[in-house]
Amino acid sequence: MGADRAATVSIWSAALAALAILLFIIGAILWNGLGTALSPSFVFGKPQAMREGGGIWPMVVSSVYLSVLTLALVIPLGVGAAVYMAEFARAGRLARLVRFGADSLSAVPSVVFGVFGMVVFVIYLGLGYSLLAGALTLTLLNLPTVARASEEAIRAVPQSYREAALSMGCTRWEMVKKVVLPVAQPGITTGAVLTVGRIVGESAAVIYTVGLFVRKVPWSPFAPAAPMAANIWHMYTEGALVPDWFRVASGEAAFLLLSVLALNMAARMLAAFLRRKMGYSA
Amino acid sequence: MAPIGKEWLVRKALLVMALVMVFGLALVIFFIAKESLPAFTEAGPANLFGSTWDPGSGRYGMLVFLTGTVTTTAGGLLLGTPLALGLALFLTQMAPRRSRPLFGRVVELLAGVPSIVLGWLGFTILVPWIRKVGGGSGSGILAASIILAVMALPTIAAISRDAIEAVPDSYLQAAYSMGATRWQTIRRVLLPAARPGILAAVILGAGRAIGETMAVAMVIGPASVFPTSLTSPTHTLTTKILVEMGESTGVQRSSLFAMSLVLLLLAMAMVLLVRRVSGSRMPEGSVHA
Repeated sequence: MGADRAATVSIWSAALAALAILLFIIGAILWNGLGTALSPSFVFGKPQAMREGGGIWPMVVSSVYLSVLTLALVIPLGVGAAVYMAEFARAGRLARLVRFGADSLSAVPSVVFGVFGMVVFVIYLGLGYSLLAGALTLTLLNLPTVARASEEAIRAVPQSYREAALSMGCTRWEMVKKVVLPVAQPGITTGAVLTVGRIVGESAAVIYTVGLFVRKVPWSPFAPAAPMAANIWHMYTEGALVPDWFRVASGEAAFLLLSVLALNMAARMLAAFLRRKMGYSA
Repeated sequence: MAPIGKEWLVRKALLVMALVMVFGLALVIFFIAKESLPAFTEAGPANLFGSTWDPGSGRYGMLVFLTGTVTTTAGGLLLGTPLALGLALFLTQMAPRRSRPLFGRVVELLAGVPSIVLGWLGFTILVPWIRKVGGGSGSGILAASIILAVMALPTIAAISRDAIEAVPDSYLQAAYSMGATRWQTIRRVLLPAARPGILAAVILGAGRAIGETMAVAMVIGPASVFPTSLTSPTHTLTTKILVEMGESTGVQRSSLFAMSLVLLLLAMAMVLLVRRVSGSRMPEGSVHA
């Protein structure tokens, strides 16, 4: 009985410790940075060097822009790969090869993607430090996760739906387009929103492909930019140039954390909403 | 175009999309290997895997950084695994029904915290705190291990939870009906049955810790020497690449790519290892559902 009791206590403590760690992280980051992160002059302000009071608007735009560009590439590719694997691939050498590629890519550290992107997209293809170079790098980085989440959503579509479509004379692709993808769409959408969270939070793969610091809002996909996550690293390493770098980095960290948490929550709520709208639960 | 032709075209297009991942992996391996070639030809493997990093005198040893990676990963797993397993057991066996979604959400949100944010927290709070309590510089293997434990926690917890949930209920009912207590059931029935999945979870957690860059970079030192204590500055493979890639050229730059190649090979070895222990495809590395 003693052992049982001790085990119960320690398992409960582990769970409470995990909860405490999360609350501590959120609490500490917000404690230092929420005041800054919530002020419009910070979020929409121009960055400053050599003097105080700078904002992060170009970094916010960079993060959003990078997310949009990456999603535009990774979602079609990932969903396409998922459709192939779930609906068309026969179990065999080819399917095994794709799975091995996906698993390995998803295990590669992001800093390795960063230096790869630097060599191939920034230097070899001549894109320079740019949003496009970063988006291409992040596409490769996120592709396995998007493909996997989409494949799970597609596989969750009941088999009877497919049979119904085929029995009415649909070709396989018509069946996928008209029945499977619409039904799998909530799962795919949730995966996409979670991917935005990962793109926005990524820094190691971005620093050597997109850039660390910009003064002006980047409008062209070929322009260098500075997503928030990379800019926090810039403040940490080169902060001496900005007198209130600590305030800026704390505010940026708080804003970034809030954005990512909001995206995670939004993904759940969106999934629940879409499923309710479609009238099925999977 | 005839419907058959279109169907064929779509099918091939989808196949190409699936193969992007294979080509992508091949490209990554090719270019990282190509860039690290000068380091192998000009410095040589003995130099590259030596223990001195001093580009000024032509020494490009990565042993210091490899040691940093191995020790911080081991430290992170040592601290993080018991916590993660406890959390997984709690989620599946003990949590009151109504609180399960809450704790499930905790795991998801923890997995979503960007590593740069965790690093900033380490730099602003953890390192000063270690410095005050334990002395030394505050940054080093201890701080990095604590950060990595937090990073690996959601990965290990989520995958172990899935492994534990996959154990058939009848196993547990059999144990309970024979008069086993809850702990006896967990230890003698549940954990052994879920062992392959839990092992895979720990390996994936190790993979995450080995590859983690930003969070470690802000608490590890940095210094290109072996640490003298748990709180003296050092480097890991990832942090060394991050900090020096921007300002190095020639063989020095190439040796950083050699370190990337080592990381790449470690990652692929982990994938094969996970497949070996779990007997099938890799479990999901990040948290989804």
